[in-house]
Amino acid sequence: MVASPTSLNALELQRVSVAQRLRDVSLNLSHGCLAGLIGPNGSGKSTLLQAAAGLLPAEGEVRWAGRPMLKIPVMERGRMATWVPQEARFEFGFSVRSVVAQGRFAHGDDERGVDAALERFDLAGLAQRPVNQLSGGERHRVLLARAVATEAPLQLWDEPLAQLDPRHALDVVALGRELASSGKTVLLSLHDLRVAHGLDFVVVLAGGQLRAAGKPIDVLTPSLLRDVFGVQLRTGPGMILELP
Amino acid sequence: MSTTRASPWILPLACALLAGLVVASIAIGDFPLSPARLWAGLTNEDALAATVIYQIRLPRVIVAVLVGAALSGGGLVMQAYFRNGLASPGLLGVSSGGSAGAVIAIAAGWATASLSVLPIAAVIGALLATGAVLVLARHGASTERLLLAGVALNALLGAVTSYVLSSYTLSYERNAQILFWLLGGLEDRTWEHVFMALPIVSAAALLWPLGRRMDLLSLGADEAQSLGVDVRRLRGWMLALTTVLTALATAVAGTVGFVGLIVPHVFRLLAGPEHRRLVPLCLVGGAAFVLACDLLARSVGGVRLGVITSLIGGPFFLWLLRRRA
Amino acid sequence: MTNIIRCVLLWLAVGSVTWATGAKGIRVVSQTVGTDEMLLALAEPEQIAALSQIADDEAFSAVATQAKAYPKLSIHGDAESILKYQPTLVLFADYSRSELVAQVKRSGVAVLVFDRYKSLEDSYDNLRRLAKAIGAETKAERVIADCEARVKNLREKLKGVRRIRVIAPSTYGAIPGSDTTFQDLCDYAGAENLAATIGKLVGHTEPPGEKMLTWPIEKVVIAGATAESALKPYEKLPPYQFMPAVKQRRVALLKPYQLSCVSHYRIDGYEQLARELHPDVFK
Repeated sequence: MVASPTSLNALELQRVSVAQRLRDVSLNLSHGCLAGLIGPNGSGKSTLLQAAAGLLPAEGEVRWAGRPMLKIPVMERGRMATWVPQEARFEFGFSVRSVVAQGRFAHGDDERGVDAALERFDLAGLAQRPVNQLSGGERHRVLLARAVATEAPLQLWDEPLAQLDPRHALDVVALGRELASSGKTVLLSLHDLRVAHGLDFVVVLAGGQLRAAGKPIDVLTPSLLRDVFGVQLRTGPGMILELP
Repeated sequence: MSTTRASPWILPLACALLAGLVVASIAIGDFPLSPARLWAGLTNEDALAATVIYQIRLPRVIVAVLVGAALSGGGLVMQAYFRNGLASPGLLGVSSGGSAGAVIAIAAGWATASLSVLPIAAVIGALLATGAVLVLARHGASTERLLLAGVALNALLGAVTSYVLSSYTLSYERNAQILFWLLGGLEDRTWEHVFMALPIVSAAALLWPLGRRMDLLSLGADEAQSLGVDVRRLRGWMLALTTVLTALATAVAGTVGFVGLIVPHVFRLLAGPEHRRLVPLCLVGGAAFVLACDLLARSVGGVRLGVITSLIGGPFFLWLLRRRA
Repeated sequence: MTNIIRCVLLWLAVGSVTWATGAKGIRVVSQTVGTDEMLLALAEPEQIAALSQIADDEAFSAVATQAKAYPKLSIHGDAESILKYQPTLVLFADYSRSELVAQVKRSGVAVLVFDRYKSLEDSYDNLRRLAKAIGAETKAERVIADCEARVKNLREKLKGVRRIRVIAPSTYGAIPGSDTTFQDLCDYAGAENLAATIGKLVGHTEPPGEKMLTWPIEKVVIAGATAESALKPYEKLPPYQFMPAVKQRRVALLKPYQLSCVSHYRIDGYEQLARELHPDVFK
């Protein structure tokens, strides 16, 4: 099954399998697409993101702009795709700024955009703080800021919203939207179906297999949600949070 | 944070301290030399004083500097490799392999044949141990497997050393030599030892260019890879360099504990975690630390270097930790 | 004419060198207790620059009292700690650290390394070697002759006596069999070392613990001040605690150094053990 949003393919996954965790997933994402990856725990979301970033030995093929991801030299790949882990663990007390500046490693450590990225994630005031003294949410924002600083056209974020307060979570979505409209491809895994509903494209995984992919309005149907998550979708008056 | 403000002074201070310790170590010793005689020795006018300075003290000082730099540099690399401040250069069995090799050479009586037998046996033991760990963990496999293979090998080699030690309990003299070696020391290091340890200089010089990559690796292997670091290659280099550093240090000075664990920690507390700054600091600082401990060991008399490094290093580190907390 | 002056000058030079390095100019440092014992027996007091750190320890040294008068090397001392005595000769054993020996050698000081000390003959050879180095050959022959006389005397006394069956127990899990200094001691003192004859042990080896209880041990050879204090560690140590010889305190008591002596002072041990095992012939 090949799912494609629109226009030119940026990220292509062809029959990608990772031992026991992912089976035969094929997927195309275009430039300028903000896509969500949903699925129950253990459905293979993190594995898919790592495979897409070329961090896992996988069967099948991952291509970026037509080139096999694993054939791209590591340094160049660092400028093309960036991946943000689900957990932000820091053993050593690097300053917030120096961690964000690591995003420029593949660019010869030129520090371009580092301060803007700090600013973007409300981290300017924490710039000199050691990262291992930050809260979980703050750490995650540091990792996202580092990812943004890479200016990579492919952004793969693993559950970026999980540890964030509502304001910063909305902010991350807004940022993803910004990056997408500047032509980048953003794929993020998440559990919040209401947020997923607002994205350009949704990919649904279950048991390591692709269950559905497409526009949220087409994919997030009551029957699929019942099938995949075992939850009942009810529409009606609800609470909607927005950035002011 | 104060660390970043204080740091520009730390390296020059450490260098000055090292230079002072070198001078002191050459001037002070069991053989009493007045300043005048010291000068006569340095200028080769007094043959006996010259022997003491150039054949006894100088090689010892150089070996101390090399060993200190090697152990703390090796420790720094291992801590970045395993993303754990508790990692030490001996984690993968390099030093216990070296010990086993040396102890076997002493027990078998080969060590008396030539000065180079003991260091060579230690290097062979260390390299075999590293090779075994890599095979056991299959090269490139996860750090966890590598760590477990190291733990297992350390236990095995420890048993070999204990076995040899226990079967020679009655050969008092050899046993004393083994213990002497196991507790580490720099007594009577010769120019042969200096030459044998010289590759430490090149291995240490290769550490600095890896500094930036080690920064990234120390915050996560996958993250580093995604940011453009060739993690496999980097890890290969790091393992090769620590192996060389630790094996040679063990070969010429026996097992000297604590340096590789504590010196990187101390400088991380003082100057922050960035490796391009830490590498030169640890090399100089480690050298100064071992030299200072050796100077103390000499003046106290009869206390082994390995004992002093731990006795001094432990409380100092705890004090620093409390002050920083 | 100039030739004559040259000859005179040469003669003066050679003469003064010989004088400077003559008997009076010798300064010896001894690094092991075995060489301490030999040195004290052969050298003039002013020739002794320093002795090993355990030279005055009665547990190891036959010459503890005499040794008190001389400086002692420091424990784990390096080459400097030896060179500071400005020796002309340094005595080592083959178990001295090779780096230490090499450093001292390289400083230009003469070095003697003793590597055979199992038997009494070895001890004599060592005495002669040292004597040659310090010019005390006649004194050495006198010491050896004296030793020979004592050994001969002992042999005559013990002629025809039944060998007493003994072992030398230890608290650290190994006992001496054949090819040890203890075997040498037994051979001269009229004793049968059961560890060698029944146990077939060679060198210092772990004994067959339970089987040892069946050995017909007449006396245990131990070192200490009194039989009580020397036996104390074995009273609660299997298998020794179950041995009749230990229970009934059948002990041959030696001075601590006598069990480990490698110099000619081992004869003290021969005599002492013989006296303990065969009191009748010494009445």
